[in-house]
Amino acid sequence: MTSADFRILLPEILLSGYAMAALMAAVYTTRDKLAATLVWATAGLFVALALYIGAAGVGERTVFNGLFVDDPFARFAKVTILLSAAAVLVMSQDYMYRRDLLRFEYPILVTLAVVGMMVMVSSADLITLYMGLELQSLSLYVVASIRRDSAKSSEAGLKYFVLGALSSGLLLYGASLVYGYAGTTQFAGILTTVQAGVPLGLLFGLVFMLAGLAFKVSAAPFHMWTPDVYEGSPTPVTAFFATAPKVAAMALIARLVQDAFGGIPGQWGQVLAALAVASMFLGAVAAIGQRDIKRLMAYSSIAHMGYALIGLCVGTAYGVQATMIYMAIYVTMNVGTFAFILSMERDGRPVSDIAGLNQFARKEPLKALAMLVLLFSLAGVPPMVGFFGKFYVLKAAVDAGWVWLAVAGAVASVIGAFYYLRLVYFMYFGAEQDPVDSRMAPVQWGMLVAVAAIMLLGIVNLFGIEGPAALAAQALVR
Amino acid sequence: MATIILFAPLIGAIICGFGWRLIGERAGQVITTSLVFLAAALSWWIFLTFDGTTQQIVLMRWIESGTMGSEWAIRLDRLTAIMLVVVTSVSALVHLYSFGYMAHDDNWREGEHYKARFFAYLSFFTFSMLMLVTSDNLVQMFFGWEGVGVASYLLIGFYYRKASANAAAMKAFIVNRVGDFGFALGIFALFYLTDSIRFDDVFAAAPALAETNLTFLWGEWNAANLVGVLLFIGAMGKSAQLFLHTWLPDAMEGPTPVSALIHAATMVTAGVFLVCRMSPLYEYAPQALAFITVLGACTAFVAATIGLVQNDIKRVIAYSTMSQLGYMFVAAGVGVYPVAMFHLFTHAFFKAMLFLGAGSVIHATHHEQDMRNYGGLRKQIPLTFWAMLIGTLAITGVGIPLTHYGFAGFLSKDAVIESAWVGSGFAFWLLVVAACFTSFYSWRLMFMTFFGESRAHGGHGHDDHNGAVHDAHGHDDHGHGHHEPHESPMVMLIPLGVLALGAVFSGMIWYKVFFGEETAVRDWFGMEQVAHGEAHGADHGAVAAVNSEGETVTAEAAPAEGHAAEGHATGVAPKGALLMLPFTPEEQAVVDTRLDAAKVAKAEHPPTTIINAAHLVPTWVKVAPFIAMLIGFAVAWLFYIKDPSLPRRLAQQQRPLYLFLLNKWYFDELYDVIFVRPARWLGGFLWKRGDGAVIDGSINGVAMGIVPMLTRLAGRAQSGYLFHYAFAMVLGIVALVTWMTLFGGAK
Amino acid sequence: MVGLEHYLTVAAALFVIGIFGIFLNRKNVIVILMSIELMLLAVNINLVAFSSFSGDLVGQVFTMFVLTVAAAEAAIGLAILVVFFRNRGTIEVEDVNVMKG
Repeated sequence: MTSADFRILLPEILLSGYAMAALMAAVYTTRDKLAATLVWATAGLFVALALYIGAAGVGERTVFNGLFVDDPFARFAKVTILLSAAAVLVMSQDYMYRRDLLRFEYPILVTLAVVGMMVMVSSADLITLYMGLELQSLSLYVVASIRRDSAKSSEAGLKYFVLGALSSGLLLYGASLVYGYAGTTQFAGILTTVQAGVPLGLLFGLVFMLAGLAFKVSAAPFHMWTPDVYEGSPTPVTAFFATAPKVAAMALIARLVQDAFGGIPGQWGQVLAALAVASMFLGAVAAIGQRDIKRLMAYSSIAHMGYALIGLCVGTAYGVQATMIYMAIYVTMNVGTFAFILSMERDGRPVSDIAGLNQFARKEPLKALAMLVLLFSLAGVPPMVGFFGKFYVLKAAVDAGWVWLAVAGAVASVIGAFYYLRLVYFMYFGAEQDPVDSRMAPVQWGMLVAVAAIMLLGIVNLFGIEGPAALAAQALVR
Repeated sequence: MATIILFAPLIGAIICGFGWRLIGERAGQVITTSLVFLAAALSWWIFLTFDGTTQQIVLMRWIESGTMGSEWAIRLDRLTAIMLVVVTSVSALVHLYSFGYMAHDDNWREGEHYKARFFAYLSFFTFSMLMLVTSDNLVQMFFGWEGVGVASYLLIGFYYRKASANAAAMKAFIVNRVGDFGFALGIFALFYLTDSIRFDDVFAAAPALAETNLTFLWGEWNAANLVGVLLFIGAMGKSAQLFLHTWLPDAMEGPTPVSALIHAATMVTAGVFLVCRMSPLYEYAPQALAFITVLGACTAFVAATIGLVQNDIKRVIAYSTMSQLGYMFVAAGVGVYPVAMFHLFTHAFFKAMLFLGAGSVIHATHHEQDMRNYGGLRKQIPLTFWAMLIGTLAITGVGIPLTHYGFAGFLSKDAVIESAWVGSGFAFWLLVVAACFTSFYSWRLMFMTFFGESRAHGGHGHDDHNGAVHDAHGHDDHGHGHHEPHESPMVMLIPLGVLALGAVFSGMIWYKVFFGEETAVRDWFGMEQVAHGEAHGADHGAVAAVNSEGETVTAEAAPAEGHAAEGHATGVAPKGALLMLPFTPEEQAVVDTRLDAAKVAKAEHPPTTIINAAHLVPTWVKVAPFIAMLIGFAVAWLFYIKDPSLPRRLAQQQRPLYLFLLNKWYFDELYDVIFVRPARWLGGFLWKRGDGAVIDGSINGVAMGIVPMLTRLAGRAQSGYLFHYAFAMVLGIVALVTWMTLFGGAK
Repeated sequence: MVGLEHYLTVAAALFVIGIFGIFLNRKNVIVILMSIELMLLAVNINLVAFSSFSGDLVGQVFTMFVLTVAAAEAAIGLAILVVFFRNRGTIEVEDVNVMKG
């Protein structure tokens, strides 16, 4: 355990120290008045760390006796997590301030959750995995119920907590089985064991762990918490749930199946494929009936996770690359969409019913246009970047011989396109009734327009994320 | 410089089409017009200074797909230079003319903006047309080809509130699709055969193609002939040749400047251009050429007969256009491509002028287009009258027989007819008769419009309308006769004046280089000189080319090495813009019998090529078109000046014939029965039975039945109860574990 | 002789009881919290048993971490429950269904 080890861990240590210091500072000084400053400081720190990790990280190192790994894959995921968390933080500040929700705990909890995610994607050991996951989850449980005077928010927190604990239990039970049959908690050791042969207990352990992680990415049938929690939590929290934790959990699945079980892709491939198909179709079908845009986004994210899982289940480096690209595109799209949802209000109160969007284009043509671009992108309509995300994963599936999976994905995307287009239809042609206002802080407006622009301009070369994603995938898949 | 010419109209179209809200309509009009004028000036400069050497200006790498690769390049040779001048000049003048013509239009409501759109379309058309004529490969040409089709569609349907305009636009588009299908097939066939779409490669492979057979549809075909006919089908569509001509008269629904630009001077000549451009291929496809000759002659004749009895001033000119296109195809078909281009060149001037003149008349009479409601306009609109007179003299071919002095049409049309005599007696006779008809209907137009008493107050009741397929051209827009006809503004008259210069002089000035001594023609087009002594027995496969004068004919030789290696293309593309092979011995034998033996004996060049032979035809052949013209004029004078009641009596006497002609040989009705109705029936059948029952049924079953059912199920599963959610998770894990135990772990 | 499989069986039984406690119980959320504890303890038994039988200490270290996290989890769970009770005046599981569909 040398100082070099700590240097690798520097971002995580820095963030933890920052979180604790901020907590102390806020508690002993002006409390919630400090919150706005903290939000911006936290976001700034996130961006700075993202730049640091992206720029300074080199090579691949395993530190702390094989507990923690720093490789291009981890760095790709961390940068995505940090940037999306920063984006969500800054755009929620105005919303929370106006709803009197801006407590100083919020940025601190988000920071801790982000630390947890960073540990997750860097874990090289079951213990690290568990600790990172729990640090993230526990913070998120609290954030979900941060609106203490709202029945919905606390119910969301409760549901998230109970089901999250159940999933943690499943994951942990699986981890214990894996430990027992592999004789070690280190991924490298597990990999050596499975290459020699797979005892049934190990397989059980794998399935339990995947089930626990599937809960975190809200893959069907472990998705049931998602709509309720998305609806009940304050919208900025929902935006956060929909972005960074999904990247972290998806990266963790990739890490686990490749680093620890890379020798037996045939085993987990089917599990992930089953989850992917179930998620895609459930997300597409269930979203159609939704009246609430936050619930709709929940089902949308379920469906999107299905597509991302396709890339993982094929087990190739190209598949992992496709998944990472898909996740990066997905969080970008969600940041933009939630920037818009955050701005929806009626008489100063936040609303999220879809019917309020009727004829929105007449009132706010530019925002409606940006939303149109985003929704098309979410639906995977060709000129937009969202299409390329889908294209990558489906191509990965076809290349690896999973043609049926690609066909299922294509069919599901056709069904799924319906509800996105329905939103567009409402915005442009709906019958007017109880219109919503869209009051946007400059940050939100900027995010919305910037993301919409990215969706259009990204078609050139996806802003060059292909290279880092390929590097990340190669680091993971050997 | 060619690049500037090509892109100036595009820039204009973009600025005007998308930016006029920013800069205003007027500015948009001025910008487009001035950019096209710039292009026109540069084109003339290129045309006058061009030395005949083929140049290729590569703009960008374009297509890379398998063995198909091509640049987006400008091919600049004499052919292109001619077309550049024609397209940009007429376009520039039409832009200018449109300032006046489109200033007020009753098809639009108060405050509606249409001018910027119109000018943007015009400029876009100009760009597409330039793209077509400057293309260096077939696919690029096809793009331009479709581009002009789109622009034509947009402009024919410009008055989109008029149902007839929309129908005409669709008709033009659909009929052209038939031709384009042939064109596309031709391109595919060429790519299949030569593995390239570059002109140079294709031309280099042409001799080989003549030896190749190809299976297509039901039989074996000679590749060169098959490709030639397929490409010509494309040309037929665009150039309104017989069987695919029905769209052109209807296209007159568009504004008159559009008719002048697109449907007279430029776009419709694209087919002729295509055949000339592909001359190195057609020279090896004698049967395809024979087909072109016959069809061109028939078109010239049929269109002229229909033109005899039409009453709408624009339709008369439209049929005359169709007829003149037939002339051009005959020239191309018998192998004198320079003459085809010559007629194209002169025709562009005088036909654009006739159209713009007609537009001026229509403008003056407040959008009246029926010639029966004109009369005596000579005094009210004298300048237009003089312009139209010059146009008529040009199109009917007035000149001094047996010399080279005359209006543009005299020189070019007589060149066509003389060449036709060498190539095909059938075509010659049809063309001479058509020339007589041309003269008749042109003078009929003049007499009905500008002479006699004004019939503007007479209304419609005085001629027989029975069975007439009569187009309601804005008849209800105006109570005509309430306004006195007035002369058009100067912006409309200046283009007429400029075009009049072209109609008078273009024939005389460029006669030598298009249809003069063979050496001059070959020099002008950058072709290799044929050494006459050897060429007599020259084999078709090898062009006996001798640079006797030691000229530096530095045309780009095809980079055929790469393809030759693959065994597709052998040989080198011929130099110059065109290729004209000498006669084969069999042809020579036939030709010699047709020529005037006395002249042949005196000739300094033996008639081994068609261009030489055409100068040696008997004198009566040379005079024939002039005589035909005089007959046509005399009859027209008799009918419409001397005894105006004669036409009606004749029409009643020969009623079936009259109706036959008035209804355009019943082509539309025939097509309606053969194609339109079965297609409609089939469409209805597929729609109701196939689409409605089978496709909609299944899709709707999924979309309206199963998916909502699943949605309801998913909604019900999301009950809100924690224990249900937990139960779902447990079920999930149980299912996964079971699955793995049974199938995964069993291995 | 008590072997590894006995410990694993006990742990599995406890784990399943814990799961059943979550989705069969419809009365009190506190019971759910207890069920969660039961699941985690089952896991701990597993870990310690494996650790002991394979002579590898890591499993017991893992157990320590799990215990710690379980404590934190219980604290957070109770806190959320208190907030929920303040808002709704009930902690019946069947009442936790404002949001559905």
